[in-house]
Parts: sequence; C-alpha cells; structure tokens
Amino acid sequence: MSPTPSISSERISQHGDPAELGRELKMEGQRNISDAVRTILECIDEDPAREGLLDTPERYAKALLFFTKGYGEKVSDIVNNAIFREHHHEMVIVKDIEIFSMCEHHLLPFTGKMHIGYIPNGFVIGLSKLARIAEVYSRRLQIQERLTKEVAYALMEVLSPRGVAVVMEACHLCMVMRGVGKTTATTITSCVLGSFEANEKTRNEFLNLVGVNK
Amino acid sequence: MAQFDSPSGSESPAALANGDENNKRNKAKAKGNGNGNGRTRLRDGDIKDLNTGGPNGTRAIGERRSSVSKPARDFRDKPEPEPKRKKRRTAVAPGAVREEAATPGDAGDSSTRSPSPVIDFDGLSRPSVGTRERLEEDDAQKENRLARMKGAVRTLLECIGEDPDREGLLATPERYAKAMLFFTKGYQENVRDIVNGAIFQERHNEMVIVKDIEVFSMCEHHLVPFNGKMHIGYIPANAVIGISKLPRIAEMFARRLQIQERLTKEVANAIMEVLKPQGVAVVMESSHLCMVMRGVQKTSSTTITSCVLGCFERKEKTRNEFLSLIGVNR
Repeated sequence: MSPTPSISSERISQHGDPAELGRELKMEGQRNISDAVRTILECIDEDPAREGLLDTPERYAKALLFFTKGYGEKVSDIVNNAIFREHHHEMVIVKDIEIFSMCEHHLLPFTGKMHIGYIPNGFVIGLSKLARIAEVYSRRLQIQERLTKEVAYALMEVLSPRGVAVVMEACHLCMVMRGVGKTTATTITSCVLGSFEANEKTRNEFLNLVGVNK
Repeated sequence: MAQFDSPSGSESPAALANGDENNKRNKAKAKGNGNGNGRTRLRDGDIKDLNTGGPNGTRAIGERRSSVSKPARDFRDKPEPEPKRKKRRTAVAPGAVREEAATPGDAGDSSTRSPSPVIDFDGLSRPSVGTRERLEEDDAQKENRLARMKGAVRTLLECIGEDPDREGLLATPERYAKAMLFFTKGYQENVRDIVNGAIFQERHNEMVIVKDIEVFSMCEHHLVPFNGKMHIGYIPANAVIGISKLPRIAEMFARRLQIQERLTKEVANAIMEVLKPQGVAVVMESSHLCMVMRGVQKTSSTTITSCVLGCFERKEKTRNEFLSLIGVNR
C-alpha cells in the first residue's frame, strides 16, 4: 500500500506545524489567546473584571492548548517501540475508548467512544498504544470522519497488519447545545482497511464483537 | 453536653453549675409538659436541647446537631427564625402582587416581599454590564461586535498552530461567534416575557414537580460546557404556573456564563419571586466537561447542587418527599 498521506517522517498530519511550537512561543501564544478571550468576554457583554471571570482567559488558554496538544505529538514517539513479534493471526479489538475532541467548525467538544480492531500479520502492538494513537488524533480540531480515518491509517502505517477497522460513535455538543438541539442523537463513522475492507465476514465479525447499537 | 432531667425533678449538677436562669425556667416548663427529660419538642419533629449552649443558640462543644437534614447554621449568622404559626393567607392574585413587588420600595401588602435582588425593575435578571446596550443596538453595532469576535477567534486558531485559512476552518470564527452569542443569550431574556401571564388561580396546594429538564450551560471558569438535568418542584399557594415556564426560566439562567451553584440558586429565587409559592426546591445534577476532558479527567463523576426555599427549607418531611420523588441517585 502506498504511504498514507497522514503520517510523514517528521510531522503528524498535513495541517498544523507542531515542530515550531517551542516553549517561548507557547507562552506568547498563551498570552495572545488570553487577550482574544478577553475580547470575546467583552463582546458577549460580560464583565471580564468580575471575580469569577478574572482568570478565565488564562484558564481557557491552557484548556485550549490542552485540547489541541495532539498537533505536537508524534505517533512514532507514542508507540515507543511497543511492537512485538507474535504468531497471532486472530482479531484483536480494543473497544469503548473514550474520546474527547473539538469540532473544528464550532470549537465545541464532541465526545464519544472509539472501537479499534486489527488482524496482526506477525506483529502485535501494545494495547494501550491503540488508545494513545486515538488520543493523538482526537486532541485536535477535528471532524469525526477525519478522526476515524486518521486513526485507521496511522495504525495501518505503524504496524502493517492484515487489516484495520475503526468505528466511532459520538455525541456532538454543537448539535445538542445549539442549532437543532437534538440531545439523543449519536453520530457513527467507520473506516475499514485491508482484510476488513475485502471480506464481508471479517467486517461482520468485528461489528458483532464491538456491539455498536446493542 | 446533653443533660437529662430525672423524673424526680432534681437539678443536674451541670445545669446548676451553668447558673442559667433561662435553663431552669425551661426545665420547669418541660417538666410541666410531662416529658420529664428536660427536652422540649418543637414543631416538625425536631428535638432541641435547651439545657446547655451559649448565646444565639450555639451548641455546647461536642453536641451533635439533632437533625442532619436541616441546613447547618453558623452561629455568627443571624439566629434561627422563630417558627411561625400558620395563618390563613388571603387569596391575593400573585399576578397583581408581582407587579407591585416589581417596583422598588413597595412593602405594603403582607404577602409581598421587598424587591428581589433576582429580578430587576424591567424584568431582566442579573444582567451583565453590556446587556442593556446590546438590547438596543442597531445592525451596525451588531456587525462590529461580530467582527471583533471573529478577529479574536482567528487569533486563537493561529496561536494553537492551526491554519485559519484551510477549508474546514474558514468560517469557524463566525460560527463560533454566533454560537457564543447563543450560549449567552440568557442575559437578554426578560422574565416577564417568559412567564407571559401564565399564572392561574387553581387552589392547588400539593407539590408540583417538573423533573429531568435538560440544561446546558457554560462554565465561567473555563468556557467549556457543562450539561445535565435539573429537577424543579414547588408547592403553590393557590396559584400555579404554566408547566413549561419552569424549564424556560431554567433555560434563561443556564444560557450564561455560570457556575452550577449559582445557576441552581438563581432559578429557585426567580421562581420564588415570580410565583410566590409556599416553597421551591431545585436540584441539579450535571457533568462538567472542564473536569472530564481536561484536568483531573474523571469521566463518570457528577456534580449535584440544590437550593430549597420556603416550606422545603423549614420542613424535613417535605424536602424528603421531594427528593424521593425526583429520584436522584437511583
């Protein structure tokens, strides 16, 4: 399979430039974010000097930088050589991984669960690395479709298994708190690669084991 | 230390040592009641020991509160109010009374209270600094406000290392600005418009509860949403309010920069002021994303706050009935 565009040797993804975020730049970025937040508070007619809001710009700046820390993380560092030679060719699934990401359209959180499965090709990966890879891509400004796809491609690239399947179900606050206001709606996206894409039976077995909609 | 008087009537050494005339008189009264144990039974089934304790109703060191469901009271605050005897209220239409109470300085009718700090003279409730300006602004000022917010969001995107000009982020500043203005629209809302005269004389004096009202608010400390459910109950004093007005009032206070404690209290106070029922109780349970998505990251934790006013505050049984009907923690 041709190298996926989602991981290059130095950068994590095609958007964002994490290598330049040195420490000083980060502090300056934090100050700029704080000023921007103060402007926003004034525009919504709040009083940025009242007790409850006094440190809110700084808190929000740190929170936002935390929610977008995925840009600065490299998948190769995260995996940390936790790939082991193992003669195992059955499906491995890590399900119900809680995911918290930020919708890039409204800068509002969307939260949910991700289920990742793969069929090894002589190599297995440390189980927590699946959740960590999911974390790298979710702590960014994302859309759910792209998040699912990026995790699948990253795992395919790092491990080269026979197949990878990722399913994610999430609740989007941008749709719940505002706009159409449907509180019970869930969004489900998936990405299947390799043998999951080729074989319907394999795909079905994965979907049964994961139990979305049970 | 709790002192029990023996049926024979002899003074206990500690009481004598106190040398408190009041205590002796109370003990005599208690003996006269036939209790014989120096303790007096107040209304509502709460037993209060009158034998020891300092001024202002403080308890002696080591003595337990007799009822843990009553709110703890700091003796430095005003002393507990005397339990009033029930007197029949005249059927005054709360609608008319509300208008009078809304004007400052009105204290004529015994069933009104002094102007509430919750609702201002024009029906707004704790408006923020620029609220009244924003209500009256024209289109040009609105555009200006939106442009400033868009600039600020663009700065945010640049600072986190994103490219504000890529396709997915191009209109994000505008979307976020509109979303934030929506999340803070509660400042502009007018309680009178919300209630809209939906108060009806019904002669109903049983508890009315609206539970599981979904509430979405913004944490003022981190500007991250917190959402959950609110349960509102009240006991009318002959006048009931349209059922949907309770969630509407909750919505008005939720669409602001809030903390959960203040949100609960404001909703309770507003309903008390608007309707003047016998009592109001509000309980809210919610999940704070600022604690789930970042920081300590405890995903299954819930925060519960409550505010009880009127007869719910005074009577333990009423409060318990409300709490069991709403079924928090089932």
